[in-house]
Amino acid sequence: MFKKSAPSPFVFNVKSRMRVAGLVILLAPLAIFGRLFYMQTFLYEEFSSKAERAIYNYLAEDRLRGKILDVNGREMAESVRTHSCGVNKRYVLDKNKTVNFLAETLEMPKKRILEKWNRASNFFFVAKKIKPDKYIKISQILRTRLGQGLELTPEYERIHPYGNSALDLIGASNSKNYGLSGIEQMYNRELSQDISKKRAKRARRGEIIYDRKLKEELSVANVYLTIDAVAQFYAESALWAEVEKIGAKHGIAIVQETKTGKILAAASYPVKDGQSLAFQFTYEPGSTLKSIAISSALDAGVVQMTDSIDMSGRRWEVSRGKIVQDNQHDKDFLSIPEILQLSSNIGAGKIALKLGAKNLFYYFKAFGFGTKTDINFNGESKGYVPPYNKWTVVDTAAKGYGYGIAVTPIQLINAYSAIANGGILMQPHIVDRIEYAGGKVDKKSKPVKIRRVIQKETSDMMKKALQSVVEAGSGKRARITGYQVAGKTGTAEKLSKEGGYAKRKHIVSFCGFAPVSDPQFTVLVVLDDPDKYSFGSSAAAPVFKEIMERMLAMKGIPPDQVDF
Amino acid sequence: MKLFGLVFIIALFGFGVVMMRIEINRSGRTISQLQNEVEVKEARNQYLQLEISRLSSPGNITRQAEEKLGMVPAKPHEIVVLEDK
Repeated sequence: MFKKSAPSPFVFNVKSRMRVAGLVILLAPLAIFGRLFYMQTFLYEEFSSKAERAIYNYLAEDRLRGKILDVNGREMAESVRTHSCGVNKRYVLDKNKTVNFLAETLEMPKKRILEKWNRASNFFFVAKKIKPDKYIKISQILRTRLGQGLELTPEYERIHPYGNSALDLIGASNSKNYGLSGIEQMYNRELSQDISKKRAKRARRGEIIYDRKLKEELSVANVYLTIDAVAQFYAESALWAEVEKIGAKHGIAIVQETKTGKILAAASYPVKDGQSLAFQFTYEPGSTLKSIAISSALDAGVVQMTDSIDMSGRRWEVSRGKIVQDNQHDKDFLSIPEILQLSSNIGAGKIALKLGAKNLFYYFKAFGFGTKTDINFNGESKGYVPPYNKWTVVDTAAKGYGYGIAVTPIQLINAYSAIANGGILMQPHIVDRIEYAGGKVDKKSKPVKIRRVIQKETSDMMKKALQSVVEAGSGKRARITGYQVAGKTGTAEKLSKEGGYAKRKHIVSFCGFAPVSDPQFTVLVVLDDPDKYSFGSSAAAPVFKEIMERMLAMKGIPPDQVDF
Repeated sequence: MKLFGLVFIIALFGFGVVMMRIEINRSGRTISQLQNEVEVKEARNQYLQLEISRLSSPGNITRQAEEKLGMVPAKPHEIVVLEDK
């Protein structure tokens, strides 16, 4: 009657139940394994970054910087590893003992540490950039009970072993060791290490354990300047003493290697990080520019060294109502060397007119005025030479004696070096070489000839004429026993805010070179707006002499005068 | 007996692992201490190097020479340069 139903595939005997139970038990680990596999394979990045965040702290840190050295390898700026001392309140075992220890070691008032302690929710810095002796004391107790909760975080401090010397060239870097001005900024890429953050683990007691990458700190380059630290010191000490003596607002002294264009010293006053007046200061040079105008006229052949220039009455009406006077002599005629010796404005003005505006303009440009020197110093000024088609007769004459044109000290010294070295304008250099971590050296200061500006014969004539300025003219105070020295003084009136020129505000200067027989160094001294009434001959020439004497002695340059 | 042998081997292995961990920890501490010492010495060395740079600066040497030894800069014509011939 009833059909026997088909046997069930599930037989709930013990064996079957065991199988089912086993399968169920196996499913759980299989699911876990499957999930793990999925996580490991497909969610790997998400989880590993989570783990990384949990284990590691990324600490924004100061970056190591390479050194800035002088041409002989003397360190002028270097990074010193210092430490900041911090407190992780959570891990401190005995607050009083810790605070007492810190106050004593860091030589800080206990009250100040407690104020910081009370202000912070957990972590706070007690002191930054602590000195090595203090660092040693703290690091020695770091693993004891007293040191629990204390942290020493490494950081770098920029140190200038020579103090203020050449700081205007070197420049500044910020607290993160990033170059802000001067060489520090110009060569920031080479000097800095490209690690903005460092990885660290935090141990159980709160200490920071840095990754070993911290030790890989030699991937930075060192920048060697052409500056000689000793020459820089001589230039600075002579300049600063004179600036203080006469109460000048600014002062500049530059020493250049005449034949190569290398800058051996560039001193400024006042000294401000990365603000070198040698490259950034612009001024009307006054009589120091006469040498350039006269060299140009001699080179163009419009005047000869033997020519006499009419000085009748020491009064010259350039155009109607525009009168130039010479009060420093009583001669009716002056030769070219005498124009330089007596610094005659009439003579230089007349020679400038003979040369003509267009020619004078192009000679000025050839000497490098109105153009940056390509020395690449940040903030370098290019000066100003107005286009010649706008010059009136008076303008042309005035440019002959250094008015109506703005120059930088580096342009002027480079032009004098061209007169001294046979007529070739050299590329000035301030960086000698860059030495990279791998040993690669990038030479930056190979002598580069920009152009020939005047002929060798003109250069020889000008050297003699400028030598006569020092021997018999306004530059007598630049004389150095045993050496033939050439140069030119300058005393220029400054522009007045009310228009025209201020009678009581001057820029005094002296630019020259030595020894004349084989010029080695060109030195320029500029003193801006002295309180005491001064002249290039009385204030700048003695500074020139002092610097030049030291340079000749330091480099062992033999005298070129036979009888002295 | 076999089971006893197996347990013994596992115990021995476990003991070895524990000893190794202890030794690793001890060495780790030593390394850490030495690293700390190296750091201290490096800091001291850098500080001393800096002192050398400061003391050998032209300004300092000039001051010492003038004030302590009464020296004055030589004029260039007073210097005799000896050259090999």
